[in-house]
Amino acid sequence: MTNKTKNPPIDRIDGRMKVTGGAKYFADFELPNTAYCVIVGSEIAKGAIASLDTQKAQGAPGVVGVFTHQNMPPIPGWDAPVGGEADGPAPKPKTEETYRILSSPKILFDGQPVAIVVADTYERATYAASLVKVTYTKQAPRTDLEKHLSEGVAPKGAEGGNYLRGAADGYKTAPVTLEAHYTIPVEVHNPMELHGILAHWTDDKQLMIYAKTQGVNATQNAMAQAFKIDPKTIHVHTEFMGGGFGMGLRTWPQETAVVAIARKIGRPLKLVMNRSQMFTLVGHRPYTVQTINMGADQAGKLIGIAHAATAETASYEDFTEATVNMTKFMYACPNVSTRYRIVRLDRSVPIWMRGPGEATGAFALESAMDEMAHKLNLDPIDFRLRNYSETDPERNRPYSSKNLKEAYQRGADAIGWKERRNQPGSTRDGGWQIGYGMSTGVFSAFRWEASARALLKADGSLTIQSAVTDIGPGTGTALTMIAHTVLGVPLNRIRIEYGDTSLPKAPTQGGSAIVSAVGSAVYDACTAIKTELMQLALKAGGPLAGQQTDELTLADGVLSVSAEPKKKVAVSDLMQANKLTVIDKTKDSKGSPEQEKYSMYSFSVHFVQVRVNPLTGVVRVSKAVSVADSGRIVSPKTAASQMIGGVAGGIGMALTEEAIIDHRFGRFVNNNLADYHVAVHADVPAIETIMIDKPDPIINPMGAKGMGEIALIGFAGAVANAVFNATGQRVRELPITPDKVMQKLT
Amino acid sequence: MNPFQFTRVTTPKAAISAVTKESGTYFLAGGTNLIDLMKREVILPERLVDINRLPLATIEKTATGLRIGAMAKNAAVADNELVKKHVPLLSQALNAGASAQLRNMATVGGNMMQRTRCPYFYDPSMPCNKRSPVQAGPDKGRANGPSGCGAIGGHNRMHAIFGASNKCIAVHPSDMCIALVALDATVNVSGPKGDRTIPFSEFHRLPGDLPQKDNTLLPGELIMSVDLPTNRFADNSYYLKVRDRASYAFALLSVGVGIDMKRGTIQDVRLAMGGVAHKPWRLTAAEAFLKGKPATEANFKQAATLAMQGAKGYGENDFKLTLAPNAIVDALKTATKTA
Amino acid sequence: MNDTENLDSELGNSTSSRRIFLKQSSALAALAMTPPTAVAAVNTGIQEKIATALEQMPLRLTINGKVQQLSIEPRVTLLDLLREQLHLTGTKKGCDHGQCGACTVHVDGARVNSCLTLAMTTEGCTVTTIEGLTVGDPATTLLHPMQEAFIKHDGFQCGYCTPGQIMSAVACIREGHANTPEEVREYMSGNICRCGAYANIVNAIMDVKKKGARV
Repeated sequence: MTNKTKNPPIDRIDGRMKVTGGAKYFADFELPNTAYCVIVGSEIAKGAIASLDTQKAQGAPGVVGVFTHQNMPPIPGWDAPVGGEADGPAPKPKTEETYRILSSPKILFDGQPVAIVVADTYERATYAASLVKVTYTKQAPRTDLEKHLSEGVAPKGAEGGNYLRGAADGYKTAPVTLEAHYTIPVEVHNPMELHGILAHWTDDKQLMIYAKTQGVNATQNAMAQAFKIDPKTIHVHTEFMGGGFGMGLRTWPQETAVVAIARKIGRPLKLVMNRSQMFTLVGHRPYTVQTINMGADQAGKLIGIAHAATAETASYEDFTEATVNMTKFMYACPNVSTRYRIVRLDRSVPIWMRGPGEATGAFALESAMDEMAHKLNLDPIDFRLRNYSETDPERNRPYSSKNLKEAYQRGADAIGWKERRNQPGSTRDGGWQIGYGMSTGVFSAFRWEASARALLKADGSLTIQSAVTDIGPGTGTALTMIAHTVLGVPLNRIRIEYGDTSLPKAPTQGGSAIVSAVGSAVYDACTAIKTELMQLALKAGGPLAGQQTDELTLADGVLSVSAEPKKKVAVSDLMQANKLTVIDKTKDSKGSPEQEKYSMYSFSVHFVQVRVNPLTGVVRVSKAVSVADSGRIVSPKTAASQMIGGVAGGIGMALTEEAIIDHRFGRFVNNNLADYHVAVHADVPAIETIMIDKPDPIINPMGAKGMGEIALIGFAGAVANAVFNATGQRVRELPITPDKVMQKLT
Repeated sequence: MNPFQFTRVTTPKAAISAVTKESGTYFLAGGTNLIDLMKREVILPERLVDINRLPLATIEKTATGLRIGAMAKNAAVADNELVKKHVPLLSQALNAGASAQLRNMATVGGNMMQRTRCPYFYDPSMPCNKRSPVQAGPDKGRANGPSGCGAIGGHNRMHAIFGASNKCIAVHPSDMCIALVALDATVNVSGPKGDRTIPFSEFHRLPGDLPQKDNTLLPGELIMSVDLPTNRFADNSYYLKVRDRASYAFALLSVGVGIDMKRGTIQDVRLAMGGVAHKPWRLTAAEAFLKGKPATEANFKQAATLAMQGAKGYGENDFKLTLAPNAIVDALKTATKTA
Repeated sequence: MNDTENLDSELGNSTSSRRIFLKQSSALAALAMTPPTAVAAVNTGIQEKIATALEQMPLRLTINGKVQQLSIEPRVTLLDLLREQLHLTGTKKGCDHGQCGACTVHVDGARVNSCLTLAMTTEGCTVTTIEGLTVGDPATTLLHPMQEAFIKHDGFQCGYCTPGQIMSAVACIREGHANTPEEVREYMSGNICRCGAYANIVNAIMDVKKKGARV
């Protein structure tokens, strides 16, 4: 088994391509005679197009066409949901409103495409787009969630149901109670790569797509559905993707529109959206308001928690996420109730953003835990340990693995937790206040179905194939490591091919599930090769006949008897003797029913030290330690990178990120990277990452659970808790900007 | 971008002539702001005159102080040994602005000509008197967009607390200019009617009824250089920039301080703030108060109170009424090394 | 809708008119300036091939050691020139407004945002892109020390900001702004990495700086 020993750190397999500029992202592909298109977005958030004048744009140099609702080529699959994820979670239930790109004069959200302008160069398309004249009949937009909280509805599906364990108001009976409201603003994924697509119909039935998608199979299926053609005629390629963080979890309507227009004009068509459009056309983390009621006894035992969340969604589509789920099982607490509501606004639809709803929920729950610990005058770790859940209280079953106590301890040691004073505002360094905070993160560990192919050649080289996309976590590197561990093929003899629909099907990259899902398929395919090699060696007349399977070792291209290393056969000789040039195995892999008996989660603990200038309100994260309890770490180097990435994202979430809407217009006022502040180098200190690195015995043969989400989930809470510890000020509305922290001169 | 004519010039005379000849002509220096605004369709020039070849990038010592050429890059000024030695406040302020890449592109003259970062100015679908001083008629299309002030009654967290008008509450975004106004700089310009010198404090203007006018340059005038008089502030200079992230962000507000200090007493002082007005905001009342006084927190607080006279918030930016005096005190403490 | 007309003219044979026009306009082109008629031509929508000829200006510069003699529209940015006309797609577009650093290249040795640089302003300049840091096939060539360090320290995840980070990092050391991790963080803040590889990038730069390799 590969999960018995720790894996060595290896360099990212695609590092060379990434540092030389050789890595090709969708917009880097060149096809002869490619036309460029630019989206003209609505300048109002609600109403209708009153008039549309495209004549000037049509006449501008190089213009191939201007497409609006008046002349958009038909998309035959528009009777079915457009862009709904075909391969991941089920399409959302329909609301009364529908949105079909460029199909009607009706405006449902700011930035909604009203025209797509196509020209022979990027410059000409951009200029021609500026010549499209649109006038609108405006209606007052409803975009402010705070003003429409009472209009929350329970969404259809799993997340709409209320959860109850014990008594709904059990917290009220506790001797110590708190009620607190937490707000998360609109956050935007903003991967560095702009969204878009390069589409080319090689004939009327054959479609080539270079996409920015987290799942090539999902894009393939969505396009097949939209154009009512056989998925086999659609080839989607996304080997490199410049970050997704969730925005590539579905096929967006403008992608479908570009494909339709490409067919109409009969030449390849490239769309690269601008940064402002990244705020309206590819989803966002929804503005969410949460209330936590909590009750505990003097001994620090939780009596009850009630967690309610209300989030925004679009008027035309219900988006839901697992915002309140963590509260159901994180702590051993007899009375727990949760409620989740959505409000349909004149906004573009949200989509899961790294850590998705769990990150939103964890900020509230883990802030409240800190607030309660303070009320009880308990150390926040101690308070959590007093309510540690050894088994899952939500489903009454064991965790497949949970090493959170060790994580608390190791993180506390690394940050220097003993320096922390429980009394807020008691540590200073010159003019700066120092504080420490911590928070827990948790995310479901999945085992989705996936397939992979492994080809071992007689020359000793191994090729691994899967359609899965590597959006940055190091999927290819982890899969290489798994293959290496099973077959003992040297790393430099393993080639991996991924991110293309010509390869075996894989799920969309998301939910921190890919190493578990695709990794298991790679494991199974490689194991099948290993089994065949052993059978060849052990069969009558074989070089190791008479031995048993479990007596053999496979390493560096040699199959040998473990106890007698001199008894061996080179894999290449074995294959040649059997006239095999290649052993080719494809395996589908999925979890076993046994897994239903367990709750499978990855856990994290985040620790930070902050420095706060009380005069200016400036908060700096001066130290950060993140601990991951996510099973066996397959690729330690890239896994650590995911953790430090979560810290950088968490610093942004905690301190700087907020997409601001002027509700008079329903329009963003900071839809660019100068004014929407993602963390920069100067915001992020050196980070210590700690991996518990103990295999999960249930989830998959590697014992590996996910990393990407837990790297972020909880981090913002740790910062808020540290700011409280530094200053005594509790900030419940993210981000924690200087104006919220500065203290009046006395 | 709209199509435009492009001309390259190598002498100031040719530059001035080219920009004077036809309307809709703009000088192009580093381009870090102009190209940005052109891409956003806020400015739609018909002609650009590339002045990057003008021989105006020298930084030199003069009889009265330092002279910095208008085409000197921000990074070159910030890293210049004369600047670091004699006017470290200028170096600090420059390094607090933008990014290393943008400082390699942006020039001293261009930095002075920066437009505001007000989001309503930047979005031609939103009302803005600075971008659209006259309401565009239906035939004028969307080039200018609606007039009015979106920031009054809208999102104005970044906006002015001093000297604003009911037409405009935008702020000047430069860091460099805060140092220059504090250090009593003068601006040498050349134009169709000859050369003249403008005191830095009079280079930028308050919005009043003409928010479209950021400065007092006359049509066709070209910034040639900036003069900085000799001073005794080098040992006690500090530029404090309060912003939403640790770098690469515009100021919520900033404070530039230069102090001539002897044995704990302030002999002379220069104080200016950024992010609080339509122009770099010199704090003359606070300076007058501090002159001759010991460097104590009590005096700093009193100076800060004086500096805040006439300040007015517009809602979201009310916090600046607290943050500004705090920042003045913090900057003074740091500059006098009494923190 | 008259996109068919546009399609026709696009495919139509306008070579002759263009040739005649080019002949007439050669004197104007020599002025290194697009004549005012170009703008008028655009606005009145005259034959676009003629407009193309009118809009373009000569540009000569050296990119990655190779002299390029080009004819471009003045509104083309250095970034779009590299990516869309010269097949140098290693330089990335992340924001197109000087707000992210993905497009960082060196112009005459200085790191700049190529998205805010009109290509015309680089006349006679020397431009280095990520492709110019090494010679030969990226899959096999000897790497620049900064590229090696980024691999060693895993200074990237999705890799999209990486070319810009590396060009900026090389310049950061050359400028003398890589003396401490704090200084590196400040002087690298113009390069955003949304995956959050910052800590590893700083380690990579400090490693190169400490080893003193010529960058």
